[in-house]
Amino acid sequence: MHWIDWTILVAYLVWIVIDGLRLTKRSKELEGYFLASRSIPWWAVGLSVMATQLSAITMTSTTGQGYADGMRFIQYYYALPLAMLILSVTFVPFFHNARVFTAYEYLEGRFDPKTRSLTAFLFLISRAMACGAVISAPAVFLSVILGVSVTTLCLLIGLPTALYTIFGGVQAVTWTDVKQMALIVFSLLVAAVALVIGIPREVGIVGALDIAGSIGHMQTFDFSFDLSNRYTFWSGTIAALFLFLSYFGTDQSQVQRYLTARSVDDARVSLFMSGYWKIPLQVLVLMIGVLMFVFYIFTPPPMLFNPVHDQQVRQSARAPEYQALEDQFGRAIDARRAAATQLAAAKRDDADGATLPAANASFQSANDEISRIRQSAIALVKDVSGDGSYNDVNFVFPTWVTTQLPIGFPGLIIAAIFAAAMSTISAELASLSTATVIDFYRRWVRADADDAHLLNISRAATGFWALFASVVAIYAVELGSLIEVVNRFGSFFYGSILGVFLLAIGWPRANGNGAFVGLIAGMAAVAYVNFSTSVEFLWLNVVGAVAVFVVGAVVSEILPSRTARA
Amino acid sequence: MTSDVRKHYVRIVVVWVLSLAALYALQQYFS
Repeated sequence: MHWIDWTILVAYLVWIVIDGLRLTKRSKELEGYFLASRSIPWWAVGLSVMATQLSAITMTSTTGQGYADGMRFIQYYYALPLAMLILSVTFVPFFHNARVFTAYEYLEGRFDPKTRSLTAFLFLISRAMACGAVISAPAVFLSVILGVSVTTLCLLIGLPTALYTIFGGVQAVTWTDVKQMALIVFSLLVAAVALVIGIPREVGIVGALDIAGSIGHMQTFDFSFDLSNRYTFWSGTIAALFLFLSYFGTDQSQVQRYLTARSVDDARVSLFMSGYWKIPLQVLVLMIGVLMFVFYIFTPPPMLFNPVHDQQVRQSARAPEYQALEDQFGRAIDARRAAATQLAAAKRDDADGATLPAANASFQSANDEISRIRQSAIALVKDVSGDGSYNDVNFVFPTWVTTQLPIGFPGLIIAAIFAAAMSTISAELASLSTATVIDFYRRWVRADADDAHLLNISRAATGFWALFASVVAIYAVELGSLIEVVNRFGSFFYGSILGVFLLAIGWPRANGNGAFVGLIAGMAAVAYVNFSTSVEFLWLNVVGAVAVFVVGAVVSEILPSRTARA
Repeated sequence: MTSDVRKHYVRIVVVWVLSLAALYALQQYFS
């Protein structure tokens, strides 16, 4: 990157830290530090909810997914507005009226301390590991593109975030989220406009989307009912509904966002903001991927987007094999460009569509040839580098940004990728600290501690989790497959934790014993389905929630407890 | 719950249906 781009990135980092630290004076007592004294306006809470959910992985991997697979991934978000509607009627008033700091605190009032502690503990381990992944993923991608070490990038992302979160608390988290969200959306719009401008005039935007559509990149609905297919209309509306209910309704990193709202209605409306805008925003992100695909039809792309792996293979004993693939790739790129131009002309000029099927077939065949060559090259990289989980599409967007945009724009968009990572990490650190202090320290260690003492412990807990996540992130390269296992392990909990809350709210006679046994049974059911079937992970949320609810209700009926109440 | 919030419930369903319809139209037009 040019020094001007680096200056923009550094200016962003300095500005966001100063802006966050400015709010330290408003976080002098525990409710101010963790819940901003329940004083945040609905629109700021709404933007914070969206910024927390949109991580740097969305900007790098999801755009890459749009490049490789097209719009298909949008189906994953179809249930989100419905989830927001359901939560605003059910969970939001329960949490607000209970005046709790954490979602898990509510479970003690409803069930018992052991159910609260177990769900809070599951949250802490899964969210802390996920926080490490949120730091490491963009650091790994950007280190390759920017030529900076992963450790330096982890520290560049993690340290400023930790600084303003430790001192500014949730006030700082929310108000920096608002600005970060504005930067992210602005950058995405800049990227989309730059891509549209980059389409050859004779093709045009409609022609570009026609070309993408001819190989299925514009597919937004897949009605096949296949539990082993990750992205279908059914997994997006049924399975993802459970995931979103769990994420927005029981994950402290999100619940804490809307607990800062001034009233129940403000909290509801803040969630509606995601309901209105999440699908259009994801369309924008995926469309950037689709437009990059079209852009690289007319501008020769590198065979692989990771220059480090590219160099590694060139310097290995298998360099001749790689060179041969690259020669084939060059010819295939020329053939695909010619086929795409013919296809665009056929769509535009051929009124009766007589030449369209042949042009379509020719383009599809040219594109398949490129996919085949890239797959061979990726297999070669995996052999030579030993990086079995290498996914080339993660590098497409950062490569396009740093090689195709004029000076100044790469700095802006890389700053937006940092902003996306930081807005997620800050909310996660604040929630980890809240659960640690409220659900464990104040509950089990010092119930009589005053606010000043708890505030110091809270800052120390935020610092501890920042350190923990950074260490996980720095070693994530070596722990690559382990992180994947941990993230998958996290999906064991999501549905099950949702099941406990559904039981609490939806089954008046449910009691602590039922909830605790149900939770264990839910996780066991998810483990069984995961290891013995090919069911995709989104459906595990349904399995977990249903198993907890059914087992919890049955056990509660068999073993009534004096603690049960409606 | 205020009437403003109730209006949002209706609006969110309308926007959701319109979004899915627009995406379906997009798929059909460009396939």
